Order: sequence, then structure tokens, then C-alpha cells
Amino acid sequence: MNKRLSITLLTAPAMIVLLGVFILPMLLMLMLSFQDDNQAFTLKNYALFIQDSFYLEILWRTIRVSLWTVLATLLLGFPVAMYMAQASGKMRGIVTMFILAPHLISVVIRNFGWVVVLGEKGWINETLMKLGLIEQPLRLLYNELGVVIGLTDSFIAYMVLALATSMYAIDPSLSKAASILGASRARTFFTVTLPLTLPGIIAGTTLVFSLSMSAFVTPALMGGTSVKVMPVIAYEQIMATLNWPLGAALAFLLLGSTILLVTLYTKLIETKRYKEVFAS
Amino acid sequence: MSKVIDVELRGIIKKFQNNVVVQDFNLQVEQGEFIAFLGPSGCGKTTTLNMIAGFLDPDGGDLLIKGQRMNGVPPYKRELGMVFQTYSLFPHMTVAENIAYGLKLRKVGKQEMQERVKRVLELVKLPNVADRYPKQLSGGQRQRIAIARALVIEPSLLLLDEPLSNLDAKLREELRDELKRLHQEIGVTTIFVTHDQEEALALSDRIVVLNHGFVEQIGTPLEIYNQPASEFVHTFIGKTNRMEGEVIAIDADGIKVRTTGGLLIQAAKQAREFSLQQKVIVFVRPEKIKLSDTGVHTGANQVEGHLQLASFLGSYTECEVVAGKHTLSVKVQMSDKSAEREAGTTVYCNWDAEDVLIMPAERG
Repeated sequence: MNKRLSITLLTAPAMIVLLGVFILPMLLMLMLSFQDDNQAFTLKNYALFIQDSFYLEILWRTIRVSLWTVLATLLLGFPVAMYMAQASGKMRGIVTMFILAPHLISVVIRNFGWVVVLGEKGWINETLMKLGLIEQPLRLLYNELGVVIGLTDSFIAYMVLALATSMYAIDPSLSKAASILGASRARTFFTVTLPLTLPGIIAGTTLVFSLSMSAFVTPALMGGTSVKVMPVIAYEQIMATLNWPLGAALAFLLLGSTILLVTLYTKLIETKRYKEVFAS
Repeated sequence: MSKVIDVELRGIIKKFQNNVVVQDFNLQVEQGEFIAFLGPSGCGKTTTLNMIAGFLDPDGGDLLIKGQRMNGVPPYKRELGMVFQTYSLFPHMTVAENIAYGLKLRKVGKQEMQERVKRVLELVKLPNVADRYPKQLSGGQRQRIAIARALVIEPSLLLLDEPLSNLDAKLREELRDELKRLHQEIGVTTIFVTHDQEEALALSDRIVVLNHGFVEQIGTPLEIYNQPASEFVHTFIGKTNRMEGEVIAIDADGIKVRTTGGLLIQAAKQAREFSLQQKVIVFVRPEKIKLSDTGVHTGANQVEGHLQLASFLGSYTECEVVAGKHTLSVKVQMSDKSAEREAGTTVYCNWDAEDVLIMPAERG
């Protein structure tokens, strides 16, 4: 059989499923977002977004929370990835297992775990108050900080694995070479390890950013009513207000912003030099 | 003129867990000397180099560079140059940036930096690759750049960690000559780690032969080759014929040994003392044996045998001759017409008494 034909046939089942449950509904949603109550064409759902600063603020908050999550996962994940890069194969396996293990539990359960830990009567506030370090409980929940903590917990695994994969490819003797040429450990990190981890940084940050932008469960549970993000208000429009066209428009605005930001970001980082160094 | 000692190892010891990998290593390297650490893998040569570089700390003894005790001093404060087996060029920097890396850290001015990069590129005969990335270079070119990067900082000591072993045979020889030329030109004190005895013999002023963490012998290539301190040194450096036997006569001229395979071998006086009936091992290098078709003696030793195998290897032919219960390896130069002999013919192996080395059989 022709190779091309066999590939087409083998991928056909997946393609049909994707077309039926993903592409078609997406197109229907897109059409819906341009309809008014009488199913006539309108731009008012999108116009509303620009006119009412309420929605722009929510979009900006969604981006802000996502950026903080990216920063937190990057800073917390980098040392773990560096440890994995120099560890033995066995140790890498063990660390990977520990990083992925929380994902065996539903994100809902994990978020409730955080509620118990971070709440006003959670053990962090109880401990700090008993030690006399604070008088009033800290607000760690139902604000942006709470959402960032929850999202960081949810997505740090993606960051660590993306960074580690990139670091495995770095020849360990490069650090030795830098060191013997006179570079301190910090210098070696900033001039050798960090630039060579760039592909992993790009992969990890875009992945975590996209996931954070579209996260629904964690902002809903850990942000409460005060920290609404785009997926949450889109959900509300569709499920509570039953304003499907507006909900659809919000969803597409979120999708569009995410794609735009990620594209700009990668274009900015992937310079000519980057392509020359990392192109395979 | 008094000798200047650049590197001194005083009773260096290194253990990994309970495994002693370097045992009581003593060495003085003179300024401008080219020293090779030679031995099989796991002999401690790379471990010792890593201790000199500062990547490992000795568990005992003192390490001195230019008279300064270096134990515990991190690599980046040692002012050394090092070339690694895997080239270890920074892939995200151009050739010029790679070479300038060490200069930048030393805060060399921009103009001087450019000049020094240019000069060192000319030194390694690659003046036109400054703007390329390492992956755009061949293996041999990469290693030249790695050498340039190590030399440009004018290190007090150059460390070479098997720099040629990732190259193919022809390039390896070319770069070996290049290393020799560079050393003659700039005279930097060099320590070279290798498992290749030919490289060590060709390049070094002195060779340190290591085995299982012990220094077996330190000497010039000629000393190592002709007066090996141990059976290990003799067998590690080049091919050899090894026969066990017993001393049957000692006189003013030398020693007679009867081998277990039934050959009678005449040897010249040895550096070591032997006694009658002592169990010994006799060594003769394949290139010292000459083949002849007639029984006319051309050396103190002659044994009759038949040619079992002849492998033509270009400039020479390697033959196996069965004599008595021994199989002798013989290296015949191309110019010798005996290289054309067929397997199965009867031949005579001749060698001089001076070419026989005798060692006591395993102590205990």
C-alpha cells in the first residue's frame, strides 16, 4: 500500500473525532458569537468588550495572574530541573515521579487541600499567629495570590519537565570549561547554563502561560467571587446568564489574546542567533 | 640554570567511597615540560588531572602550582588552560566569543581582546572561522578552537584531557603533530592525559605510567620503552612477545633462559639481578625479530618455526611464527622481501641478546 494512503487511513479515526467534537463546535461557537437575540449578525458582543472596561480589566487580570504563575513556576522549577540534570538516571526517575504524582489526584481535591492550608483558620495562619509573628490572619485565599498559588501547584510539573529536558542536552563539561576559564559558579550559570536552557524556558513558559490563561477550576475555587478571570466569566455568561453569544465572544477573545501574546513572545526571543544555535 | 618547578604533587591520594583511585602520587613537573599521564581507563590519570584542575580535591597530600599550595582552591582561581575530550565549546557563542570568554572575565580591553583572538586563531591555523558557531566546524577544527581558547589566556599550565580520542585516526595524527608544534612554539608547561601509548611516546618529555591508581614508572619515552620498571609498563607500551622460563646460566656476557615452551634464549646483562633457577618472564619486541629463510645466525638468538599468519598492514607486515610451544609475533618492514612469504613456510627468527628483557616472574 502507498505510504501516504496508509498514514491517512491510520490517522483518520482521530481526525474524524477531532473534527466532530472540536473543530465543528468551535466554528459553531464562533458563529454564535456574532449573533444577537434574533440570530441576526452583530458585532455588539465584541463591541461590549471594548466599551465596558469591566471586561478589559478581567482580561488584564487573567494575563497578570498567568504571568505571575509563569514567574513562580520558573523560579521554583529551575533549581529542581538543575538538580535533575546532574542527578543519576534513577534519581531523575524518582524526582519525575514525585512531580507527577499530585496529578493523580483531581485538581478539585488538590485545590480544596490548599483551601485548608491557606484559609483564615488554615495551618499557615494558625502557626504564624501562635508564634506571634502576626496578629491578624493573612489573606492568602480568595485573592490573586491564592489563585497564583493554586495555578503554580497545578502547572509546575510542566515547567520542570520542559526545563529538565532542555538541560539534559547540555554537555556537563561546558560548566567545567567555563570554570577553568575563570568563571565563578554564578557567572557560569548566567553565561552558559541559562542561555543554553532557553528552548526549555520558552517551552515551559508558553505552556504554563496558555494553561493559566484558560484555567477555570482553580480560579473559581481559590479566587472566589472577587477574582474573576476570563474563563470564569465566560462560563457564567453561558451557564448562569444564558447569554451564549457573549460567552462565546469572551471565549474567543481569550483565545485570540493568548495566541497573540504567545506569538509575540516567541518572535521576540527567537532571534536570528537563537535559530542558528538551536535549529536542528 | 636551576630548574623551575611548575607543578608538584606530594603524596596525592584520592578515594571514592572506600575505593582508592590515586595512591601516593609524587611528581615534579618542570617549567616548559610536556608530561603525559598514560594508563588504561580507571588507572587514575583523569582523576589526577581533575585534581590539578580543581574539579576534585585530594583526600591526602599536597598539590602545588608555581609553588603555591592549591588544595581547596576552586578551578576558576587557578589560571589554567584545559582542553576536554568532547571539545566543550560553548554552542551558543561564535568561535571568537568562545575564545574571548576567558579574556572577558579578565577584563581585557576590547581592542587587545580582538588582537589576541586573531593571533591565537592564526596560531592554530584557523584564521577565517571567527564568526562561525561551533556546530559549523569539523571535529578537528573544534578541537583546535578549544586549544586556542585554552591558550589565549596565557595559562600557567595547560591540561589536556584525552583531546585526540574523539577524532578519527588521520586527524588524530595531524592534531598530534600540531600539539607538538604548538608546544615547541610557546613552551607552555603541559600535562596530557591519554590511554594511547603512541601519543604519549610521540609528544612527551616524560611519561607517567599509571595502573590501578599507582605510579608504575616515570621516565622519558626512551626509558619507558627500553627500561620498563614493570611487566605492566612493558606490555602496555607497544606489543611484545612474552615467554615464561627459568634461568639456567649466568655469566659475564649475560643470562641464559630456558622457556617453558622449550626455547633457549640468550639475553644480555640486565639492570636487575637474577639467580640461577629463578622463575622469570622473557620479553622480545616484535620489531626486534628478523626473519630469515636459512639457518645462518644473524643474532645471538635463532629459533626455527613456521609462518602461521601474515597480515599486510601497509608499511609493515605482522607475522605469527609458531616456534616450539610459543607463537611469536614478528613485525616485518615492507622493505624486507620476507614480507611476501606465504603462510606455512619454514622461517628462522633472529634477534640480538640486547633485545631481550627479563623480569622476575610474579612476586609471590
